[in-house]
Amino acid sequence: MLHSENVSFSYPQTNRSCGLLSLSLHQGESALVHGPSGCGKSTLARCLAGLIPHLYHGQMNGDVWIGERNTKEMQSWEIAREVGFVFQNPAAQMVASTVEDELLFGLENLGLPKEEIKTRLDFVVDQFQLNSFLKRSPYTLSGGEQQKLSLAAIIAMQPSVLIMDEPLSMLDSSSAYEFINLLIEQQEEGKSLVFFEHRLPYLQDFPGLKRIPPGIASNEQPGSQIPTLPYPEKAEAYSIRVQGLTVSFGKKKILEDLNLEFKGGELVALVGKNGSGKTTLLRSLAGLQPYEGSIRVLGDGQNESDLPRLNMVFQNPDTQLFNPTVREEILYKIQQPNHELYEWLIQALKLENYQETQPLLLSEGEKRRLALAITIMHPHQHGILLDEPSLGQDQRHKDLLIEILKTISQAGYLVFFATHDIELAAHADRMILISEQGIIADGPTRNILQNQNAWQQAGLILPHWIAP
Amino acid sequence: MKWKNRKPFISTDLEEASPLRNFDPRAKLFLSLCASVVVMLPLQRLVIFLGIYIIFMIWARLFSRFLKQLDKIKWVLIFLFLVDWLVVSLQLAVEVTLRLTVVTSVFTVLIATTTPGELALALERLGLPYRFAFSIRLAFQSLSMLEQEWQAILEAQKSRGVFSDIMNIRTIFTKVGDLVSLTVPAIVLATRQAWVITESATARGFDSPMRKPYRQLSFTTRDWVLGIISAGLVLTLIFWR
Repeated sequence: MLHSENVSFSYPQTNRSCGLLSLSLHQGESALVHGPSGCGKSTLARCLAGLIPHLYHGQMNGDVWIGERNTKEMQSWEIAREVGFVFQNPAAQMVASTVEDELLFGLENLGLPKEEIKTRLDFVVDQFQLNSFLKRSPYTLSGGEQQKLSLAAIIAMQPSVLIMDEPLSMLDSSSAYEFINLLIEQQEEGKSLVFFEHRLPYLQDFPGLKRIPPGIASNEQPGSQIPTLPYPEKAEAYSIRVQGLTVSFGKKKILEDLNLEFKGGELVALVGKNGSGKTTLLRSLAGLQPYEGSIRVLGDGQNESDLPRLNMVFQNPDTQLFNPTVREEILYKIQQPNHELYEWLIQALKLENYQETQPLLLSEGEKRRLALAITIMHPHQHGILLDEPSLGQDQRHKDLLIEILKTISQAGYLVFFATHDIELAAHADRMILISEQGIIADGPTRNILQNQNAWQQAGLILPHWIAP
Repeated sequence: MKWKNRKPFISTDLEEASPLRNFDPRAKLFLSLCASVVVMLPLQRLVIFLGIYIIFMIWARLFSRFLKQLDKIKWVLIFLFLVDWLVVSLQLAVEVTLRLTVVTSVFTVLIATTTPGELALALERLGLPYRFAFSIRLAFQSLSMLEQEWQAILEAQKSRGVFSDIMNIRTIFTKVGDLVSLTVPAIVLATRQAWVITESATARGFDSPMRKPYRQLSFTTRDWVLGIISAGLVLTLIFWR
């Protein structure tokens, strides 16, 4: 059904290359291709789906066959009939303004009669329980719902093979399990599935999954040695008090009457489902979000009315990068840079070899580390906030990240991160569980991990490999 | 502390309660075309048209939406009015302001009652190749997303001190330099978004020669009535002596 031999690809501008991938899948079989961040998994996924060589310039070696036909000799719309592709970011791939139009897009392209389109539309709406969403904009759905919609839009086209590029990376645990169950059903119906993924534990029980050895070398070398250097600055003792925090978007209250207290030196994880208000809480603490209530810092010699100075690391590093070199990017707008801190950062974040590199040429993992360096370098009297810091990161990067965050918190700063990645959150000293109803639980991480009721209330599944 | 939540510059929400929502998008496009012609007419006729168009918007339950949109561009209107008045004449200032107001009202009526998909289908039925109609649909759809991206860039850059200097003659060059910190990420993100959608559409057979649209448009009596009234009004204003 799907067969590839020694597939590799090199990009003309950067000379970065990836490969080799050989696999052979028959009807109803599944494979998992795994490898470190930056090793070219996404590129190889595009080779299998025929987007390479049809849409990208560069050198593709090796061949991909769908049935008896080589993808190089097929038109891209012919490939689309046989191979469905699920992208990493479900929101970015939406082409229509309503859920119904999104489902219809591929069906219209197949040139099917109206009755057949109606039958298939009804089928996927029913199978994926999308009935109540049909007239809504895809952008208003939660991450889990968006990923379900993107799968439904492809399943409606009835391809024989599904290629998925990190489909779980943006999903919380319960959405991830729900998505996997839908895929198991697809496999049972005879579809062949190929996962490119590094949240491997979620797939460990997937029936009959073949693991494909990477055979690919990473362009990055992070995590080979976790930094043990002490953070060069110490913070004074302080606490941050949040009282009656309420944030509304129109008539909808995203956060309502939240009361929290943080101390300098804490490493705190905020865990909740997609859409539970995690980012909104961080933005409020960073002073970026209009809110009602009060956020005050106490006890570091300032007036009680002072707002905390917390810097935030945003989800998408591309919103910040524009300078010609990594060095200039990190030092931009810093009046009197602390050179000791700069040296610590580039070593700890494994950026020392890229100081003169143009930031936009870095890999996604490197860009994320650079965004963290920018945030830490900028004066942050009370600490840092991070929004989904592990998105798209492999285990080595997560280990590196958590060590750096621990080092900063040990210097007396608050480190507060929002995540749907429970593996990462399990490393924090304190965990806060949040849902649309508000704070469900708050306490030492070990206690929260043992509180099954709280996880149920938050609508999350605690994966068995994390539960203490 | 109480802050004011920021509203999008161009709202793409649909006004489901408007009676225009159920009209054929081709009739609404024709209405927009007629109104665009009126923009070129002299002041007196422009005022008459705007008066009639405001009554029409009140009937279509779109007047408050029009006022909100006008509120968002009030500083542009005031600036242009003052410059034209001080540099040329009061009449030109009034004309330019009214023309911009008419354009805003036309845009509001179309955006508030037509989905990007319906607009693309109408353009396709009017003979525009699907590829171009699809691009226009995506452009309309992406308005709010691009605005969100712009907001994210602004926040990310402000959080590292961009635009924090007090405005004076010494810092003016710094401010211009700061603009680069917004434009480069904006171009990068917009290009990337366009590329992801291209990939997504291609992976679902966008370039298939066999494509057949599922939905059909039907031009009914009410659409003919709207078209005839629009054309009649414009012709009257043009040829009226």
